[in-house]
Amino acid sequence: MDPSRRRALWGLGALAGSSLLRAQQFDPFHDHSRLPGFDEMASIMDFEEVFHAKLPRQIYDFTDHGEGSEFNLRRNREAFSWVDLVPRGAADISSIQTATELLGTKMAFPIMAAPTSGHGLLHKEGELATHVGTTAASNTPYIVSNASSLPIDKIAACATGPVWFQLYPRPSVDATREILEKAQAAGCAAVAITMDQQASYYERAAHLRHLTEDPRTAGTPPRRPTTKNPYRVPDGRLWYNWKFLDEIRPFVKVPFVAKGILTAEDAELCIEHGMNGIYISNHGGRSLDYGPSTLEVLPEIVSAVRGRVPIMIDSGFRSGTDILKALALGANVVTVGRAARWGLGAFGDAGVQKVFEILQGELVMAMAQTGRPTLASIDRTLVRTRFR
Amino acid sequence: MKINLITRRKTLAGMGSLAAAASLPAQQPTPLPKLIGERPGRITPLGDLVNVLEFEPMAERKLASATYASVAGGDRTFFERITLRPRMMVSTVDLDLTVELFGEKMFAPILVGPTAGQQAFHPDGELAMVRAASAAKTVMVVSSESSYSIDKIAAASKTTLWYQVYPEGDLNAIQARAKQAIQAGCKALCITLGAPFRNATGAPSPASVAGAKNAPLNWAYIDKLRQGIGVPVLLKGIMSAEEADAAIKNGVQGIVVSNHGGLLTSAAAASTLEVLPSIADAVSGRVPVLIDGSFRRGTDIFKALALGARAVLLGRPPLWALAAYGQDGVQNLLEKLQTEVGRTMGGCGKPTIKSIDRTSVKIHDA
Repeated sequence: MDPSRRRALWGLGALAGSSLLRAQQFDPFHDHSRLPGFDEMASIMDFEEVFHAKLPRQIYDFTDHGEGSEFNLRRNREAFSWVDLVPRGAADISSIQTATELLGTKMAFPIMAAPTSGHGLLHKEGELATHVGTTAASNTPYIVSNASSLPIDKIAACATGPVWFQLYPRPSVDATREILEKAQAAGCAAVAITMDQQASYYERAAHLRHLTEDPRTAGTPPRRPTTKNPYRVPDGRLWYNWKFLDEIRPFVKVPFVAKGILTAEDAELCIEHGMNGIYISNHGGRSLDYGPSTLEVLPEIVSAVRGRVPIMIDSGFRSGTDILKALALGANVVTVGRAARWGLGAFGDAGVQKVFEILQGELVMAMAQTGRPTLASIDRTLVRTRFR
Repeated sequence: MKINLITRRKTLAGMGSLAAAASLPAQQPTPLPKLIGERPGRITPLGDLVNVLEFEPMAERKLASATYASVAGGDRTFFERITLRPRMMVSTVDLDLTVELFGEKMFAPILVGPTAGQQAFHPDGELAMVRAASAAKTVMVVSSESSYSIDKIAAASKTTLWYQVYPEGDLNAIQARAKQAIQAGCKALCITLGAPFRNATGAPSPASVAGAKNAPLNWAYIDKLRQGIGVPVLLKGIMSAEEADAAIKNGVQGIVVSNHGGLLTSAAAASTLEVLPSIADAVSGRVPVLIDGSFRRGTDIFKALALGARAVLLGRPPLWALAAYGQDGVQNLLEKLQTEVGRTMGGCGKPTIKSIDRTSVKIHDA
């Protein structure tokens, strides 16, 4: 057969018709959804993908979304790009020392597990798996949430790693006292009281909920909250006040830390009210839309505190360099919440362990590469900030 | 005989349609606002909307494109440059959003601003708007270019009304309209300076923008207009401390910082919120300072209050809600904003509007 224009065009058409682009459109299995396995987890963000794939949409939304328009959620991550590390030579990796102590709790690395609620939704073993995982990761201290799926004594007893307790205040002083006593009896080495998240609203998650209608609630009109105020603002947590803090302060015999602090003024007030530590947090972008990132307020709070009490920080930490930046700006310890949830949801206790081991390894690498072999050698000269 | 003849034209047409149907063009962003996950063209049930910004794509789906274009968008860049400074352990359980304006207590520091010809958005126009404002306990500023007469609007109203006029044309006619509005119950008169566009469905002409930019403030005219009005007079469209000061010296009882929804783009590149602090400083409490300009969120309103505004006027959002959902939509939108302001106050530890001050926010460099 002679080559003809007609045949050439046929061929071209057939080529186009069978092209990769076309095949992708019609092959329902060609959706690039192979899940990486446990051994492929190389950085924290790898866990999110697996977590997203393995867990129901509502649980993913609850874990990953933030308050309001999520400006604050985005800013938490953005703020790390405003801090540059300025290396000074390099240090031998075998010389790196990361062990520290915070309010009497010894830890191998200045990294702790932040309190997050309801681990039973993420894994069938719930907080037990979390505690086993943190313990396996060089005894990483685990701050157990007041909103855990399991009772604090069970969680504390299931592994040997140190545990702290996070408290959501109850309007009744007696009820709060009971919670605090139970936590301390279970062996919690310190208590962090959550002061923020007074009136949060997960707009984005609420939005996705109606778009992927839950058959159980389909067709029911949205509930209007009954509130004391005429502005329909849920008032379950609006009552928080300093007088209440003073009233419950004597019930905490272990170190007592204020969580959710974002201003120098409040850090000062916390010290005046006898708190033993400042825990800078915007609840992982889940408290107040258009609030500041924690990293950008860290310098203001460090100068207000003037070393009188230790400073903890969370919200948006995903790597060893993120942690190093906060240490350089004056934080004593960094805590991670979402990352641990991703690890737990994706791979159970082994995932939690892996998350912390990755962060620990990355911190060691970052310290070596910036020539800071000890925590004491990490100071402001390590960073150049471009906060706006 | 030609059966199934393959021609070059047919083949090329086939290849063209293949390319058009490929996934690449489908991924290009649409220029219109989108509601994540919502089917194209569908109007989401009102109860499912989660914020004010979501009303805009709904209005876009409902309105003729020219009408939608007249109320599309907004400039929110300056809001993104302000963060809040939340304070803890301050009880806000007795949340109080009320503010006092001209001796009258307002439920919340939010007003429906003056917008013309609302029948272009809904057959009930201003009547639906005023019923919604009444239900949401919100003051409404009635435009002198309303689709319905002020008498009809006032009859449908159970809330405080203000009236708005443009200081141009026949003075006597304007005064007569203003007096008629006051007779109908309007409690304040808002004089809009330098408005470049008078038609809700038309874009401003370059000539009218240039004219507005160059027009000197005619105090004699405004003075005459105020004669015998008998209610507080506000000037809307102030964008500098000097103008604000001059306005007060000329006996004006209130100021609205406004650049007419960004329509004076070349003349007033600054956002209203950006100039607010300097104006609030110059005014230093002598008269109330109000503001408009792309307010869409409770945090936006909180920021304006922190920077010295007494209350915020809404322009486009109530029109979006009116177009997509009528009266119920406007009420829902106003209530959403009230709740959002309340949430923000709760999160920042500010139980009253008075307790919100400049230490409640931080302005960041661009």
